[in-house]
Amino acid sequence: MAKLILLLLKLCILFFVVHAVFEDQVGKFDWRQQYVGKVRFSHFDTQLQSSKKVLVATESNVFAALNSRTGELFWRHVDKTGPEGNIDALLHHAQDAVLVVGNGRMLRSWDINVGGLNWEMLLDTGSFRSACLVGQQGTVKHVAVLKKTVISVHYLSNGHQKWVENLPEGETVDYQTVYSGGNGQVFVLGIVPHSHITIVVYSMEDGEIIKQVSVEAPWLSNIPASCAVVGQGMLMCVDSTTMSLNTLDLHQQLQMTQIPLQSLGLEVDPDFHPSLVSHQPNPAQKPLSEFFLQLGPERYLLLQLNNGQIVTLRDFKPALLASFATTGEKTVAAVMSPKNKTACSINLYSADTGRRLLDTTLIFTVDPNGGKPERLHVQAFLKKDDSVGYRVMVQTEDHALTFIQQPGRVMWTREEALSDVVTMEMVDLPLTGTQAELEGEFGKKADGLLSMVLKRLSSQLIMLQAWIAHLWKLFYEARKPRSQVKNEVSIENLSRDEFNLQKMMVMVTSSGKLFGIDSKTGGILWKHYLNNVPKNAAFKLMVQRTTAHFPHPPQCTLLIKDRDTGLATLHVFNPMFGRKSQVTPPALPQPILQSLLLPLMDQDYAKVLLLVDDQYKVSAFPSTKNVLQQLQETASSIFFFLVDSSQGRLSGYRLRTDLSTEQVWEVVVPTEVQKIVSVKGKRPNEHVHSQGRVMGDRSVLYKYLNPNLLAVVTESTDVHQERSFIGILLIDGVTGRIIHEAVQRKARGPVHVVHSENWVVYEYWSTKSRRNEFSVIELYEGMELYNSTVFSSLDRPHAPQVLQQSYIFPSSISTMEATLTEKGITSRHLLIGLPSGGILSLPKMFLDPRRPEIISEQSREENLIPYAPELIIRTEWFINYNQTVGRVRGIHTAPSGLESTCLVVAYGLDIYQTRVYPSKQFDVLKDDYDYMLISSVLFALFFATMISKRLAEVKLLNRAWR
Amino acid sequence: MASPGGQGGGALSTRGGSGARRMKWALELSVGNTRSRGDRQGGQGDVVYPIGYSEKPVPDTSIQETDKNLVEKRCWDVALGPLKQIPMNLFIMYMSGNTISIFPIMMVCMMAWRPIQALMSMSATFKLLESSSQQWLQGLVYLIGNLLGAALAIYKCQSMGLLPTHSSDWLAFIEPPQRMEIMGGGMVL
Repeated sequence: MAKLILLLLKLCILFFVVHAVFEDQVGKFDWRQQYVGKVRFSHFDTQLQSSKKVLVATESNVFAALNSRTGELFWRHVDKTGPEGNIDALLHHAQDAVLVVGNGRMLRSWDINVGGLNWEMLLDTGSFRSACLVGQQGTVKHVAVLKKTVISVHYLSNGHQKWVENLPEGETVDYQTVYSGGNGQVFVLGIVPHSHITIVVYSMEDGEIIKQVSVEAPWLSNIPASCAVVGQGMLMCVDSTTMSLNTLDLHQQLQMTQIPLQSLGLEVDPDFHPSLVSHQPNPAQKPLSEFFLQLGPERYLLLQLNNGQIVTLRDFKPALLASFATTGEKTVAAVMSPKNKTACSINLYSADTGRRLLDTTLIFTVDPNGGKPERLHVQAFLKKDDSVGYRVMVQTEDHALTFIQQPGRVMWTREEALSDVVTMEMVDLPLTGTQAELEGEFGKKADGLLSMVLKRLSSQLIMLQAWIAHLWKLFYEARKPRSQVKNEVSIENLSRDEFNLQKMMVMVTSSGKLFGIDSKTGGILWKHYLNNVPKNAAFKLMVQRTTAHFPHPPQCTLLIKDRDTGLATLHVFNPMFGRKSQVTPPALPQPILQSLLLPLMDQDYAKVLLLVDDQYKVSAFPSTKNVLQQLQETASSIFFFLVDSSQGRLSGYRLRTDLSTEQVWEVVVPTEVQKIVSVKGKRPNEHVHSQGRVMGDRSVLYKYLNPNLLAVVTESTDVHQERSFIGILLIDGVTGRIIHEAVQRKARGPVHVVHSENWVVYEYWSTKSRRNEFSVIELYEGMELYNSTVFSSLDRPHAPQVLQQSYIFPSSISTMEATLTEKGITSRHLLIGLPSGGILSLPKMFLDPRRPEIISEQSREENLIPYAPELIIRTEWFINYNQTVGRVRGIHTAPSGLESTCLVVAYGLDIYQTRVYPSKQFDVLKDDYDYMLISSVLFALFFATMISKRLAEVKLLNRAWR
Repeated sequence: MASPGGQGGGALSTRGGSGARRMKWALELSVGNTRSRGDRQGGQGDVVYPIGYSEKPVPDTSIQETDKNLVEKRCWDVALGPLKQIPMNLFIMYMSGNTISIFPIMMVCMMAWRPIQALMSMSATFKLLESSSQQWLQGLVYLIGNLLGAALAIYKCQSMGLLPTHSSDWLAFIEPPQRMEIMGGGMVL
């Protein structure tokens, strides 16, 4: 019985502490978008006519199947990041997909229908070169994997190794390709640079070398780039120096036959390396004897090899992309050619004759805010009348995939650039036209009573008009069935909601494509592709002007810096529409080290951006006279710091009135011992409501709220587990004074840090105890405030009190961020992205160095939780319930108009947006608030009062008559 | 205190008697407790009293001395009332404890409100004590008693922690300090 009661009690406790989402709230405030990354390999599932699968393997080490009708994911497998999970090859046959992963480390076979793993084989060491399916007598049963020194053949059904052979002369010959024509032989092609090609022919049965030949080819250096196997096993190579095609019969291996391109009447564009595209419809059969030869960036030729003679079937000029596709017995060639500036047309040609097929034109509209088409994936199918129909998936430079059906209907678009978001900001939406009208009325200077009255009347009239329009719309839509009413968000009807919960998410991706996403629905409202973004660019996004300054448009500035040259450019745009701003950014001839957004504004309410170049000179943007004057006035109080992690140098500078700088302080961390990993300041939009903490005896412990404090994390260069350590330095960014220093011995990175209010939380790996640990540092000024009106780092005689505590965390973490609210009244939570895909909302209350080991009356009064070394992960703390976010790389938090609510965006491979309420929703009525009951009770009481009042009056009168 | 005679001071009276409803209204010109007499006699019929006859007994002036003492005593009762309540209040205070919940709060409110109310109606009490010879002394005692009561209530508030006497009570009103320097920067991009 006692046990039963205990159980009941436990259940009660469980039910009371739950503050996760309810079942009916799923998807109400949150959304998730799943991405796969830039596509490297793709195959259409051609088993059945009705098959809807597109298999894609991407550069983000993701293997997935997309629904070709909707663009949604059927299934997705995310492998390890980095070279370990790199997908080297994707081979597809029937319902098996074979992947070579991690530079030939793994061979995996997947069932494409359900996405399940058939088998997995660990391969021998050696860097991967090539792989192909091997067919025999019309059936495909094996897969051959070529490595640097070894070739192995595996069964397709179970992955077992059939045979493995060391390659002859592995030291001198660089083997590059493996090919099989379906006749029981495997050809391995290797080259000795500037000398000859080596061809080794293996027997499929037992791996015996049938033949080994060398053919002179001193001009050839890379077989996959310049060669292709065509027709009856003819190796076709293109030589860009002599401008000729060289053919070699792989079965006879006599010598290369040179066919100059000029003899075919062809000319190659200067400085263009020609390339070949061939097609093998079935691995058990020979490749087609037709192939594409690309002669220039906009020129393709369809050629045919006919008894050693090359016949030109068709010359495509101009043509951007060309591709083969097979359905049944028919093979077609699809060629994309530019139509005009905004559109391309794709046409289908018969592969064996080069004749254009009728009614096969497809229009691809090039998005002016997107990139150029890069690759063409064609899915051909047979129509009922036995003619060939097709759909295409166009991959563009900005990693977008567009799936198009004839005659040009876009079925879906996937913005795969969003799988690699670098930085983001959340910008308030503008007010509606009517709201802005009213605001504008108050903003302008008054010019007389009468005109003011007229203005007010006109704006009221506009509001009335809008209201009537709204009513009419409601009435009109009420008659329609509910399913037809669409509440689509578009740029035109974007406006701020009552509590500012809907914002514009401006996302910058590593490909250089910018996105504007509606935070409520996740719809992409605008996109803009920046063409000339260097490969390894560093981005910094700043909001110079918010939407609060109507009629000035909001303004964002993106600093793009090329890490190689150090040169930077500025892209100024409107975050609501994505359009480039009319404001011309300054040209930056010098390499830029850092930028600094000042709280100063110019006369158009744009915040001033300072750019520091490598001469430590500062330029301002915007740099009007007004701004320069303001800068001169405030120059003495503008400081900035630079951290050079390669030299281990932290230095602080002060601005002079002539916009040059002087160094104020410098701290050198010796790079031989430790290196600076990260520097975290406080967020500029953070508000702290309470200046202190109330103790148990009701005195106040004041927080040390230094806005200039920096948390610098260092890691030891020695990685030995006994000697490695991590260090944390708290430095004042203005004076360079070291406020606190802590060293965690026998600890290793990666260190994740959050710095906010008066605390710093960091996470590391403890090599001593082999576990993840959290540590928290809190700074307090003491029982008295030194100066309660102003904070100046230059006048701080007392050092703060430092408290620290550490905890054990049961999981490693990917990223960490703290919640942020409008006024900072709400308690704080830490949002922790876990590698498992969960996002944990851990109350900061658990990470409090004042947690006592022995409970006292005072600590109970303070509501301090007794110290326990372990932090527990409670499942209801996962804010994303079962919506796992793949590879979380960052979490962005933004305050909303409601004090209780904080908007959260987690990005990585996926994007997940939700709201969190760290102190519950104390300022909002519950979702299930019973309006009916309350209002009916209110009305009932009201009527009861009226009636009883009347009755009382009658009674009084009667008594008076008595 | 309001005697039926005071009510019937008006000359006009309505008769709503149960049995007798002979007339809608009657005007009686005789002074005194006409209504009560009329009501009482309504059922029995009119009896005319001789002139000078009063139904009330004439007050006996011979017991005036003891009456005065009684007034004094009564006045002291009034004056000492608040003081007498203090032990009771102390007991309630002790019983209710220092936790903040609805009942202790209600009690504290009552404890505080009563002396304040009494102090506000001081003049009325003085009027009551007017007949006493030790009026000023009694007034003083009454005042002190009430002040003590109020002090007790405040002490209770204090021990319950309801008075803003600590620095933590003013914490919410401290404005965040203004920052003097502008600082920014970071890792070299």
